[in-house]
Amino acid sequence: MNPQIAQIKQIKKKFKMQKSKFKIQKSEESAKSGDSGFSPRIDTEIAGVHFENPVLTASGTFGYGQEFAHLIDLNALGGIVVKGISAEPMAGNPPPRIYETGAGMLNAIGLQNVGARKFLEEKLPFLRTLRTRCVVNVFGYSTEDYVRAIEILNAGEGIDAYELNISCPNTRCGGMVYGNDPRLTEEVVGASKHVARFPLIVKLSPNVTDITVLARAAESAGADGLSLVNTFVGMAIDIESRMPRVSNITAGLSGPAIKPIALRMVYQVARAVKIPIIGIGGIASAEDALEYIIAGARAVQIGTANFYAPETTLRVIEGIREFCRRKQVHLAGLVGSIKVSTDVGPPSS
Amino acid sequence: MIDDVVPVVENRPLTGGHFLLSVQSPRQAQATRAGQFAMVRLLDRSDVLLRRPMSIYDVKPAVARGRNVAPPFMAAGAKLRLSASRAEAGLPIASGRVPPGPTVATIIQLLYKVVGRGTHLMAELKPGDKVGLIAPLGHGFFVEEYLDAAQRADAVLHVAGGIGIAALLLPARDLARGGIRQRLFFGGRTKEDLVGLEEFKPLVKSIDVATENGSRGYRGYVTQRLETFLERNRSKKYLLMVCGPWGMLEASVRLAKRFDHPCLLSMENRMGCGLGVCLGCCIRVVGEGHNAYQRVCTEGPVFWAERVVFESTDCAD
Repeated sequence: MNPQIAQIKQIKKKFKMQKSKFKIQKSEESAKSGDSGFSPRIDTEIAGVHFENPVLTASGTFGYGQEFAHLIDLNALGGIVVKGISAEPMAGNPPPRIYETGAGMLNAIGLQNVGARKFLEEKLPFLRTLRTRCVVNVFGYSTEDYVRAIEILNAGEGIDAYELNISCPNTRCGGMVYGNDPRLTEEVVGASKHVARFPLIVKLSPNVTDITVLARAAESAGADGLSLVNTFVGMAIDIESRMPRVSNITAGLSGPAIKPIALRMVYQVARAVKIPIIGIGGIASAEDALEYIIAGARAVQIGTANFYAPETTLRVIEGIREFCRRKQVHLAGLVGSIKVSTDVGPPSS
Repeated sequence: MIDDVVPVVENRPLTGGHFLLSVQSPRQAQATRAGQFAMVRLLDRSDVLLRRPMSIYDVKPAVARGRNVAPPFMAAGAKLRLSASRAEAGLPIASGRVPPGPTVATIIQLLYKVVGRGTHLMAELKPGDKVGLIAPLGHGFFVEEYLDAAQRADAVLHVAGGIGIAALLLPARDLARGGIRQRLFFGGRTKEDLVGLEEFKPLVKSIDVATENGSRGYRGYVTQRLETFLERNRSKKYLLMVCGPWGMLEASVRLAKRFDHPCLLSMENRMGCGLGVCLGCCIRVVGEGHNAYQRVCTEGPVFWAERVVFESTDCAD
């Protein structure tokens, strides 16, 4: 057996042991609930990867981690999802690329990135020095592109999981084509899973009629987890010049404006699949994150808030811990704990 | 870079919808070098999310009421580098025209114009209010090669368009301290746009002003004045330092090329983070593929003119 695979299996086994230990500890601790010294466990597991806490940074909002090293303690994060990586470097879209809208922002960066090889050489060594989990967001223009990028990245030491981006709205015939079609989703997820040395999380697009269809397709093709959701396609126009505000004409909307819609999607998908879900969309506070967790997410990603408030992730982690302490519950006890009077889901849009 | 929440000391209205915001922030003020910028956040506003990028106009030991009377501050590191490299080049050190600055700055000043919702809300800030400030950001003007170019030139020509003046005061002060001759070309739509002129007076040999409506100085674009000047002084070697709207940058670069002078541009752009991660502020530069775009916040905001590609876009900016 390949020694690297053996190593991974060993790590996985260790996690399973930790998990069972966690269950014992949990039952012990819940037995003495009411104890004011309750110390909640907020660690979590996604796709077989153990995270110290459920807060990750969203791809494209945190660079390659190092950019925030002067601003926050990177080791306090649950995980860092790096900027989308393709097999070859990408230039990105012409400016202007961003525009601020009400409680949100539009972006059409166009997946500018250094390419998989340079990522391994220049960016990964720093990430490896951290205790924080490193999730590498991967994208391509064809199934072959995705596979090629993963094959290059497989050589990287210190990668904990892949996040397959089949949902970027800002590249020509880009990932979103895959994210809109369940057959193509199955194809690209299946092919990627086949070559991937690390667990595979699939990031879905919200720009679909029924997201549960795509979620099921990804699950059946072997996805180990789901990230929900990428940005919503939107636009803005300058009425004076009658020109679009962003060169790509349409752009991805993120920020607090999208939270209720993304939350609804997490709730729907949590009822449709068995694999773990990471909730993403407009999270700026612990309360926002807890809504996603109660809706069924085992972890969350924070994106746009990193831009204007770099300390958000740490504030959210502390807030989740404090909430769990107050409610005398471990994080695992909150996941999917939404109380609804009937078991009827919301109507699909 | 330092991320902090800092108190407003003064938010002084100037002409033409301009304001001079002074915040108390010793650590950030002392770390600031000429040409760097700050990302300003209005706190407790979920409708205005993003920080606003602003040139650091000035740093001071204490806020000056009324007219600017406080002596200028200069970063000790920059001063030493400047003096040392001048000495090495056999050039005179510090002309002494500008009095030596104090060593401890505590105030950061940002000069801004009310143009959109963010700056409109900024204008309502009162002394004692808090703002989020990440500063200083960007590499600014004083990396060695810029200094060398300034020393080789007969004079540095500052070319400012409107609020672009905000990026040029600190470098002008540093250069004046280093004994480098400077001139200012300052253009605006109207005379109300010509804020900060007084601060430049002790630093530069001449000030040439142009307004589009002719309310002060030459009627027209300041780059027309620059062209006349360069035409008359063909034998001289200048370094151009330019900050202003896109059209003005482009015109200045054309002139620099025609008269064969090196030219530095302090670029502006919309920014999502100012930290180098959102890639929202990228501009087109000379280069192919992955090297075709560079971040204003990280590789800039100051660029050599020949690096920047001026191409028309199909959308509003």
